Amino acid sequence: MKYLAIVFMFSMSLMAATSEVVQYMKELETTAKAENRAFNGFDAARGKEIFTSTHTGKQGKPMACTSCHTLNLSNPGKNALTGKVIDPLSPRANPQRLTSTKEVTKWLRRNFVDVYNREGTAQEKGDVLAYIMKN
Amino acid sequence: MKTVLNLSVAALVLAGSIYLYAGDDYEEHGHHVSSVAAKPMTQRDKSAMALYTKECGSCHFAYQPEFLPKRSWDKTMNTLDNHFGTNATLDPTDHKTIQGYLTTHASKSDRMTGMGGEVAIRISETPNFKREHREIPQKMVAQAEVKSFANCTACHTKAAGGSYREREVHIPNYGNWE
Repeated sequence: MKYLAIVFMFSMSLMAATSEVVQYMKELETTAKAENRAFNGFDAARGKEIFTSTHTGKQGKPMACTSCHTLNLSNPGKNALTGKVIDPLSPRANPQRLTSTKEVTKWLRRNFVDVYNREGTAQEKGDVLAYIMKN
Repeated sequence: MKTVLNLSVAALVLAGSIYLYAGDDYEEHGHHVSSVAAKPMTQRDKSAMALYTKECGSCHFAYQPEFLPKRSWDKTMNTLDNHFGTNATLDPTDHKTIQGYLTTHASKSDRMTGMGGEVAIRISETPNFKREHREIPQKMVAQAEVKSFANCTACHTKAAGGSYREREVHIPNYGNWE
């Protein structure tokens, strides 16, 4: 029993998100399935592509998530417009990350619009979260 | 620190001064009215201010609400979906709390006289701000460490506490202003 508990805790730490955010990802999964029958789970590799590729953003200029967060999620980023330092996105580098669904939904909503000029789909959001969790 | 700000607001209102940023002028007025107690902040005010600082301060300096009148803050808060070119929308409850905080503590005097009826949402476009910064060469502002006039704390070392005295100014790569 004790062993099981340890294994459980270890796997939770591997998930690098609190239960609240894990629950949110399950909701995203349900929506993603409803929107796309072929959906077969979130994929960090797809998330990386979403995160690192350049798009015409809200301002009509080329923009990527990495424009502010940089390519290394363990490093601090910098707001491209204001210059304000952004704490690392990686939950390993910054334990505050992926601990609040309220924060996660807010930033996914805002930043998809800024970079893609539209909100992300459930699958895209889940893919990005899977990518962040792995880093 | 907040007391300093509240006192300065009281000082401004009482002295009828339009020099919010003025360094030594501001200090003198402060001395004249130091016996007048500023309205203390309630617990609700404090938590609203903390929310404002967290939410808005995650991307830029959390400008003191006293820098703009109510109609400016209302305009800002009603257009957060396109906030200087970014989406800065909030959860509805937080939105209401922050708008309440900003408009309650907004400047009571008109900071936009001479703007031809326009409602400023950039503090740096208000006549007061322009006058106070008219002597600053563009190169000091455009440099990477400052970026723009929106970055108060780059030079005003005590801006976060609401203090903008001239002797606290330190311009990166150029030094003190006085």
